[in-house]
Amino acid sequence: MLKSVARLASLVACAATCFAPGAIAQDTFAKVKERGTIVVGVKNDYKPWGFLEPSGKIVGMEIDLVDDIAGRLGVKAELVPVTSANRMEFLNQGRIDLIVATMGDNPARREVIGMIEPPYYAGGSNVLAHRSAGLTEWADLKDRRVCAVEGAYFNRRVTKLYAPELITFPAVPEAMNALRGGNCIAFLFDATLIESTLAEGSPEWQDFEMPLVTEDPQAWAIGIRKDDLSSPFGEFLRKLSEDWHASGTLLALEEKWGIKSSPFLQELHDKYKTQ
Amino acid sequence: MTTQTDLPVLLPFTLGSSATPRRKACLLRPATWCSILVVAALAGAATANASASAAIVSGVIPTMWKWAPLVLQGFAFNLLVSVLSMAIGTLAGLFLGLAQVSLYGPVRRTSWLATQFFRNAPWLVLLFYCMYLLPFEIEIFGLTILLPAWCKAVIGLSLPVMANVAEIVRGGIQSIPLTQWESAEALAFSRRQTIWMIILPQCLKRMAPPWMNLYAILTMATTLVSLVGVQESMTMTRAALVAEARTDLFIPMYMMLLALFALYCYPIARWTQRLERKFAVRD
Repeated sequence: MLKSVARLASLVACAATCFAPGAIAQDTFAKVKERGTIVVGVKNDYKPWGFLEPSGKIVGMEIDLVDDIAGRLGVKAELVPVTSANRMEFLNQGRIDLIVATMGDNPARREVIGMIEPPYYAGGSNVLAHRSAGLTEWADLKDRRVCAVEGAYFNRRVTKLYAPELITFPAVPEAMNALRGGNCIAFLFDATLIESTLAEGSPEWQDFEMPLVTEDPQAWAIGIRKDDLSSPFGEFLRKLSEDWHASGTLLALEEKWGIKSSPFLQELHDKYKTQ
Repeated sequence: MTTQTDLPVLLPFTLGSSATPRRKACLLRPATWCSILVVAALAGAATANASASAAIVSGVIPTMWKWAPLVLQGFAFNLLVSVLSMAIGTLAGLFLGLAQVSLYGPVRRTSWLATQFFRNAPWLVLLFYCMYLLPFEIEIFGLTILLPAWCKAVIGLSLPVMANVAEIVRGGIQSIPLTQWESAEALAFSRRQTIWMIILPQCLKRMAPPWMNLYAILTMATTLVSLVGVQESMTMTRAALVAEARTDLFIPMYMMLLALFALYCYPIARWTQRLERKFAVRD
């Protein structure tokens, strides 16, 4: 219900932006320099990519990337916490200049916004489940209750292929709590988050596992407005993204934030290093 | 044989007892209320921790304490949103309510339609509309006015408040006996003077309790703005839960949030009841 309202609202919003072209006509590059700040949409509820410290500061791997972007432009970074449901609207409305918020690159999103290549990470979907659930393959999910988070891109694909009874929650803590409370047999989410949860070795998760093979790799990319793609701003971000891979920045950050090293980053590092 | 009743007319008459049992039973005393909250919080914490190890249990209170400033900051923002929406909604609602008793048919009908529309629309849907339809920047005479998300949320919440206040105002005006209007007419007051100097001052005390009620409801509804991406106490609590990555904190943290809202709204409810009682006796 909520999602359909959001979808309807975003449709209406898209229609509305067509009638208000003047708002974002100016080149983002010039605008950012003139303003002295770059406004970036980030996650603040996605450990270890973007999360809160008790002081209220947002930290994480993606925040380090944002700081690098701002540092190279010689401007200050202003972080705006976004959700999966509102980040593309915020971008197209002009509230933020770019998105660095665990956003998967897919054709449907490319219709609405522009994606910077190469991507800075690739996630995949998997489930966190109690050992006693005895899951061994994705097909075991059929007709079982599976917790998920609203707006996650893999929800639709998994529902279509494996037909679990999906119970969606507004955010990760609620879904994980439901899993622990026995409301569902598994929690469907991004594999990196599940890995980092298990890797922390907390006693409350010791009876849980990630039993399936990670599927559906999705590249995470920086999002910008479509008309920025061919502008100097888009060009700058593309170059920077290549440099992150070539120089090993991403590999170093991955280690810094305790993310299990991904073959994807290694592969791109080898590719761009030689160029 | 006597039957159980709280109707004064059926009870034996005693001098000086004006309060009926029904009123007394209405509300708990503040001390009782506080202890209920504390017990509920402890019970919630206890169930959450039942399965966890002792090491985790001992960490709950310090962890909550660590995040308390941030949640309180978010809560202060909720209050700011509630006060602003209430102020805008009340002002707009006053005029919308007055328009509903206008002598001009088109004005009366249009305002009635607007009131019914905003009063019967779900608050969350109105919020969504405001979030995604209002532009981020407005240019008026070359002046760019920024309209951040929380401002849009305030506007979104003030719409239903406006419609509800309009109904409170209309009801208040119509509850004033017709003789007041007639007397004012006889004393050669204009219609505007009658409304502002005679009718509205008399309505105020009748409108205060429902208005305060509405404010309490609005305050609790401000958590809705977390759903449209505005950062407030609810989002802060959630972000804290993510950062801690501990499910045993789930219930205590949300209980803390619940307690904050309850402690803020409860005195308003009590005050409203007191005003209602006070005015009820005089009328």
